[in-house]
Amino acid sequence: MYPEPTNIWQSIEYSPLGIFLAESTWAFPTLETLHVIALVTVIGTIAIVDLRLVGVGSRAHRVSLLAKDTLPWTWGAFALAALTGGLLFVSKASSYVINPYFLWKMGLLALAGLNMMYFHLTLWRTVDHWEQDPSFPFAAKLAGWLSLVFWVLVVFFGRAIGFTLSFYF
Amino acid sequence: MGDLLFNFAEWLRGTFLVDLSLWISETALSTWIVTHFWTIPIMQVLHILAIAGSFAAVLMIAARIYGIAGHASLAETGHRYTRVLWWSLAALVITGLGMIAGEPVRELINPIFWIKMALVIIGTLVAVWFAASLRRQYHTGEVVQGSVKLTATFLVVLWCLIIAGGRWIAYAPV
Repeated sequence: MYPEPTNIWQSIEYSPLGIFLAESTWAFPTLETLHVIALVTVIGTIAIVDLRLVGVGSRAHRVSLLAKDTLPWTWGAFALAALTGGLLFVSKASSYVINPYFLWKMGLLALAGLNMMYFHLTLWRTVDHWEQDPSFPFAAKLAGWLSLVFWVLVVFFGRAIGFTLSFYF
Repeated sequence: MGDLLFNFAEWLRGTFLVDLSLWISETALSTWIVTHFWTIPIMQVLHILAIAGSFAAVLMIAARIYGIAGHASLAETGHRYTRVLWWSLAALVITGLGMIAGEPVRELINPIFWIKMALVIIGTLVAVWFAASLRRQYHTGEVVQGSVKLTATFLVVLWCLIIAGGRWIAYAPV
C-alpha cells in the first residue's frame, strides 16, 4: 500500500499512472529508451546547426538551409523527449523535485530555450545578409557556443540524476 | 525472453570472461575510475554525445536520400555526414572501452551487452558498405538505388536498437 499523498508531487507519484510506471518491469526502461532516442536526435540535429554557427567543419552549407533540414527533426524529437520525460517524472515525482541535478537540468533546458528564442527573434531575422560572409557575427557564434554548452550540460545533469536519486529522498 | 537472457547470463558466467572481468577490475585504470565517482557518468555523457553525432549523421543522410531534407546535393550531404559518422564511431569505441574498464562485470557478463555488441558490429559493417554504395551514387545525380534507400532505413532502425541495447544493459539479469 502507498501512503496518503501529502503534497502535489506525491499525488502525481501515487496516481494510477505513476504507480503503474513505477511497478511495471518494462515501462520505465522502455520510456528511458525512447527518451534517449529522442534526446540524441534533438542534440545531434541542434549540434549540426550550432557547429556551423561557430565555424567548425565544412562551411560549404548555408546555415539557414541546414536549419531548414534539421528543425523538423529537432522539434519532433523534442516533443517525444518532453512526453517521455514527463512520464518518467510521474513515476518518481517526489524524488525528482528534491534532486538538485534534476532542477539544474530543468534550468539548463530553460536557458537553452531562451537562448534559441532570443537568437531567432533577433539575429536570425537577418541571416540572409550575413550567412554568406566568411565569418559570422560574434552574436551568432556566441549563440552557437551557448547552445552547445547548455545541451551538453542538459545531458550531464540528466545522467547525474540517475546516479544520485538515492542521495536525496 | 527473460529466460533466454537469464540462460545467456548463466553461460557467460562459465566463460573466460569472468576471469577477464576480474583482471580488468584489478587494473590501476579500473581502480581509478571506480574511486572517482563522476568518471563513469562523464564517460556515459560523452558516449551519449557520440551516439547523438552518429545517429544524427545516419538520420540526415537517410532524410536526404528520401528527399525529406534536400538543400545540398547527395554528394555534399554524404561527404559531410559520413565524416561525422566515422568520428562519432571512433568516440563511441573509446568511451565504450572506458566504461568497460570502469565496470567490467556489469558489461562483459551481461547478455544485453553482447547483443548490443553484435548489433554494433553489424551496424559498422553495414555503414561501411552503405558509405561505399553512396559514393557510387554521387555521379548518378539524384537517382538513388532502392537497395541504398533500404540500407539507410535499416541503419536508422539498427541505431535505435543499439540505443535500446545500451539502455537495457542496466536492467539485464547479471
